[in-house]
Amino acid sequence: MKIVAVGGGKGGTGKTAIAVSIAKMFAIKRKILLVDLDVDNPCTYTLLSSKPEIIKEIYAFKPKILEDKCKLCGKCVEYCPVHALVLIPSKKILFIKTLCESCGNCMIVCPEGAIKEDKAVIGWIKEDKMDNLHLIVGEAKPGERKTDEVMTETIEYVEKIAENYELLIFDVPPGTGRGIYDAFKLADLVVTVTEPTMLGFHDLKKLYSLIRSMNKKSIAIINKYGLKGGVQDEQEEFLRNNRVQYEKIPYDEYMVKAYVSGETVVEAYPDSPSARSIKKIVKNLEKIMFRSA
Amino acid sequence: MNTEIVVASGKGGTGKTFISSNFSYFLNKKGFNVLAVDADVEAPDLILALGDVKEILYEENFEGQVIDIDYSKCLRCGACVETCRFNALSMSDEGPVVDYNFCEGFGTCALVCPVQAIYLKPAKRGRIFAAISNTGIPVVTGDLDIGEKNSGLLVYRIRELAKEYSFKFNARLIVIDAAPGIGCPVISSLVGARLLVIVVEPTPQSLKGAMRLKELADKLNIQSLAVINKYNLNPSFTRTIVDALNVEILGKIGYDDKVVESYTLMKPILETYPESKISSNLETIFKRILERLSL
Repeated sequence: MKIVAVGGGKGGTGKTAIAVSIAKMFAIKRKILLVDLDVDNPCTYTLLSSKPEIIKEIYAFKPKILEDKCKLCGKCVEYCPVHALVLIPSKKILFIKTLCESCGNCMIVCPEGAIKEDKAVIGWIKEDKMDNLHLIVGEAKPGERKTDEVMTETIEYVEKIAENYELLIFDVPPGTGRGIYDAFKLADLVVTVTEPTMLGFHDLKKLYSLIRSMNKKSIAIINKYGLKGGVQDEQEEFLRNNRVQYEKIPYDEYMVKAYVSGETVVEAYPDSPSARSIKKIVKNLEKIMFRSA
Repeated sequence: MNTEIVVASGKGGTGKTFISSNFSYFLNKKGFNVLAVDADVEAPDLILALGDVKEILYEENFEGQVIDIDYSKCLRCGACVETCRFNALSMSDEGPVVDYNFCEGFGTCALVCPVQAIYLKPAKRGRIFAAISNTGIPVVTGDLDIGEKNSGLLVYRIRELAKEYSFKFNARLIVIDAAPGIGCPVISSLVGARLLVIVVEPTPQSLKGAMRLKELADKLNIQSLAVINKYNLNPSFTRTIVDALNVEILGKIGYDDKVVESYTLMKPILETYPESKISSNLETIFKRILERLSL
């Protein structure tokens, strides 16, 4: 079993479109698990016309204040690191759910035992099975802060079923923070997806400082290559100087057309320049993942 | 009292920074004192879109907390391991071991330790700075160190610093460029803000993100308005957005090469191509935002 993580730093560079396309191509011959870790806004399933079903609810601790036991001492308020509890003098303790980070300090410090363990749904793990291509989606519930936790639980769940597959493909959220680190940590190969804009380039440099610090094997994809007014030359120079192997996907109308109608370009326009480039990349990945060992 | 306007999208890459940078530029041109805030601390790009840094005015490290264990005191009782809700502690032969990738620094373990062998210490997680951009617009921004967490708190500190600088610059309007998604950093960008501008592109993926963002804003009692960016990629999808999103659409903006070119030049399109169709559409939208704010 191998793991490829597809990430990009900046949003909208084409991570999901490429991760789903790669998954589709691999699934022709191999058993694939595509894992959507962009829990804030998972988009893999719209591109797969899939309606994954909830297989697991993800919970986090929330305090339940027993008002009849509470003596309004304010200790919970003092020890809440995120100010989710407020003491309204001689009235009550106000709990602001949107601020709570689920640490449980309040329950531990309460001298009256007036705070009980309660829990709230913060997200879901969803699943769909399409022939050789299975999909696991982590999805955060809007309004909940602990989206990292949803991602962590999704990864834990996936690790349990990973052995049933030849290849896992992680679709990673934008950014360069903790969540990305967790996803990259497990990967045999990191595929970065960038676009030749100043902002894409700026974020790519930040992303590569993470990848280098983790000592991860990586391939870069410059998506939307040839974008008029873009900075592809500088980007290529950066990748060459850093000895990062890279591929290009030309900017064409087909990729955009497929995306806006919720499809993958490899299926909707298999002979388009962008689809052909993706197929070439898949061949290359196949070589790296399965023939090098 | 200043007014905070948040630009967010749910999905990444729909044009948040494009709208925020041009909106800030527009307000500045119109004679409003404006302060721009980049709350996308994992990929802070707003200042680049405003011409990059001209002068740094202030800089500080953003510090979080992590725990440390004094093994000379530790009884190896395991109370800390049991209490941690984030699986950041595990027991080894030598005692409890901290996995700093999971430690949130809330100190729950320190609270239960019977011999006070666990203490909290500060740890650098990023930086915050205020600067003047080359367009003359002041920007307050942050940069989370790679692989770090806690960006909600960092956003909160950035907004505090932004408020401080808004007084210095007499800025009544603060434009906040939010992170993608709907998680902790976005919630921290939204809480207490006056208005949310949702940037949506005509794709099912973006619409879904926008709807999730709208749901969040409703929960936080924040008024939402929307802008359809790159509408010409899929003109017929406009109707779908109008029906599904259920917020006032301020206008539509097309997409062409001038957008990328302006980014490459690190200038707002309102400066590089003030006569273009995109610029005139942007101005119409921005005027509408001001009307909605009764400004």
